Amino acid sequence: MASVKLTNVKKVYDNNVVAVHDFNLDIKDKEFVVFVGPSGCGKSTTLRMVAGLEDISGGTVEIDGEVVNDLQPKDRNIAMVFQNYALYPHMSVYDNIAFSLRLQKMPEDVIYSKVTNAAEILGITDYLMRKPRALSGGQRQRVAIGRAMVRDSKVFLMDEPLSNLDAKLRNQMRAEIILLRQKLNTTFIYVTHDQTEAMTLGDRIVIMKDGYIQQVGTPAEVFEKPTNLFVAEFIGAPKMNIVKTDLVKEGNRYFVTPCGSRIEVTGEKGELLNEKCVPSGSILLGVRPEHMKLAFAPGENTMSARLEVNEMMGSELHLHVFTEDGTRWIVRVPTIDLTQEQRASLKNGAQVYITFEGKVMHFFDPETEKNLIY
Amino acid sequence: MKNKNQIPATILLVLGAVLTAGGIFLLVNRFSPMWSFSHKYMTDNAIFVMLGILGLFLGVVGLLLSRSLFKEGREIQEGEGLKQHMGMKASARISNTVIYVLLVLISIVWLVPFFCIVVQSFRVNPTGMTRYLFNNPDAALKEGLTIRFGLDNYRRLFQETKFPRWYLNTFIIAVVVAVVQTIIVLCMSYTLSRFRFKLRKPLMQFMLILGMFPGMLTMIILYQVLKDIGLAGANAMPGLILVYVASSGMGYYVSKGFFDTIPKSLDEAARIDGATRAQVLYKIILPLAKPIVIYTVLTAFMGPWGDFVFAKYVTGVTPEAWNVAVGLQQWLSTSTNISENYTMFCAGGVIVAIPVVILFMCLQKYYVEGVTGGAVKG
Repeated sequence: MASVKLTNVKKVYDNNVVAVHDFNLDIKDKEFVVFVGPSGCGKSTTLRMVAGLEDISGGTVEIDGEVVNDLQPKDRNIAMVFQNYALYPHMSVYDNIAFSLRLQKMPEDVIYSKVTNAAEILGITDYLMRKPRALSGGQRQRVAIGRAMVRDSKVFLMDEPLSNLDAKLRNQMRAEIILLRQKLNTTFIYVTHDQTEAMTLGDRIVIMKDGYIQQVGTPAEVFEKPTNLFVAEFIGAPKMNIVKTDLVKEGNRYFVTPCGSRIEVTGEKGELLNEKCVPSGSILLGVRPEHMKLAFAPGENTMSARLEVNEMMGSELHLHVFTEDGTRWIVRVPTIDLTQEQRASLKNGAQVYITFEGKVMHFFDPETEKNLIY
Repeated sequence: MKNKNQIPATILLVLGAVLTAGGIFLLVNRFSPMWSFSHKYMTDNAIFVMLGILGLFLGVVGLLLSRSLFKEGREIQEGEGLKQHMGMKASARISNTVIYVLLVLISIVWLVPFFCIVVQSFRVNPTGMTRYLFNNPDAALKEGLTIRFGLDNYRRLFQETKFPRWYLNTFIIAVVVAVVQTIIVLCMSYTLSRFRFKLRKPLMQFMLILGMFPGMLTMIILYQVLKDIGLAGANAMPGLILVYVASSGMGYYVSKGFFDTIPKSLDEAARIDGATRAQVLYKIILPLAKPIVIYTVLTAFMGPWGDFVFAKYVTGVTPEAWNVAVGLQQWLSTSTNISENYTMFCAGGVIVAIPVVILFMCLQKYYVEGVTGGAVKG
């Protein structure tokens, strides 16, 4: 249980490749922070610097107010779960979990109660005497989590712990990590490339790209108020529709004009545009697929489009459509909103009409790719 | 014919049986003069003894092979019995037979000297090197002796010579070197495998190049140095240990290669679990690298155990400081020595071989792989 503070943390490798630039983050006690980003964005490197497995090239890492830059991993009082489990193959599950406790020279009866307790929580009591090679992937990952659990460490680090599991198991383990977090009630730093994991697990999400932090915020913040194009596209699935179009200012009112339509910006977004005095001009317009509306007949502000791909996801349809100017849009429609006939008509090449409301838009500068209003 | 495979199997079986019988007959015949019916015409029984051993070897291998061939043949017959499959099996069988015969011949070439040494070592009357191993009545008559077998040589070895002293010298040197060299090699390998430091690559290349020069090149200067610091001659033991251990760091290749295959995340997990680097090495890496540790111990022990050149040079003319190789060689250094000491030399050789054989027998079961399974995703 501790806060973690990273100040101007930098990582430069020997070949002068900069993996992490000026990383600043204040993680509060008992907070669950997720580092997310595409591969090679520096998220794992940052985590490993907190763990002490990588040298810190610049800046400071503080755990509980103490600068730990020059401390060995063993002196930082952290626990870590690795993507590839990293179980000790020559030891039984019990010995694996007990390893850190034995190094602390804890009495065997205390070790016994701690290990069995952790095994019970994780449901691996039956496997305690087995060797890691006799376990399945999910079981191995539980052992790895158990090994980290028994340490009562200040900070719990997880480096893509679910990436090696199959999709179903991953969902299950994700739920278990949420439960585990409630039980352990400690500070978590979790690294993943999967935005779903980030959104569901994190109190706060740190979105990274090329060694730079793009945005730090709660899942709702990064979803609703992405600071730039990268965050907007990275968070949310399917990803946000981005269209190059014009923003037109008429008095206090703003309009966008994608593909011949003219849709007024309403609600909070319109007010913010006014507040920031955004001038007319070319912008990148972002609309999330779930905010798109599908129509089967032309109406007010609809854009005519041709259906190219219809992905049936069960509870919803992902429709990939192309408007007349060649722009590709993804429309997410709940299956339940459509009649049987409408669903049958959604064949490839079908003519559909799409539109969206004025309050759901995101506006990005085409050059800086920054959000114009947040 | 039920099965093609039975042809080579049957041939081998018959051949094996004949050879085994012949081998046993020849050996028994040569062992016991009472049975001997034709020794008047035989001038050199060693040939027959050799033939007997050869026959035994070939025969036993042939029997084993034919047994496995019969078994496999039955399995194929009981299985799907595809024509093509059987054809492939038959050709594989022939090449297998050729390979086995070759292996048997090679093993005979390997084993005959050992066999001879063991037999000679039990011979009671001292002789020089002979062309025969067991009783050769003609030669015996010529020498006026009856050849007897017993433990006489071993008794002489321990009661009348400095052999125990040499043995102790060698043993102490070999054990110390085995321990120290193993520690150095394993630490070196771990460091080069896991740490990244300046000049790591140049150091490795430098050692590679250095290792290409034969050690003999430094012998004269080493002797001079050892003599100057008083570690030659009578004090040769620490001097020799120093020489053997000195360059051990350069033998890191094999174990470094093995360490490289152990996932680094195991080190990292252990370090986070609270282990120091040293604890990582002996609690995680070494148990996983058991075969390579054994290999390192064995080679480290064998080097000084059998060394002659350095030991001879450094110890000089002080018999108390000799190791077994130097001492045994001394027994054969002149032709008079040979005729007096040859059988004792053989007994010494047998005694020298014993610890090595024990060491190999104890440690060979650790030469197994597959201990890393389940460590990481895979």
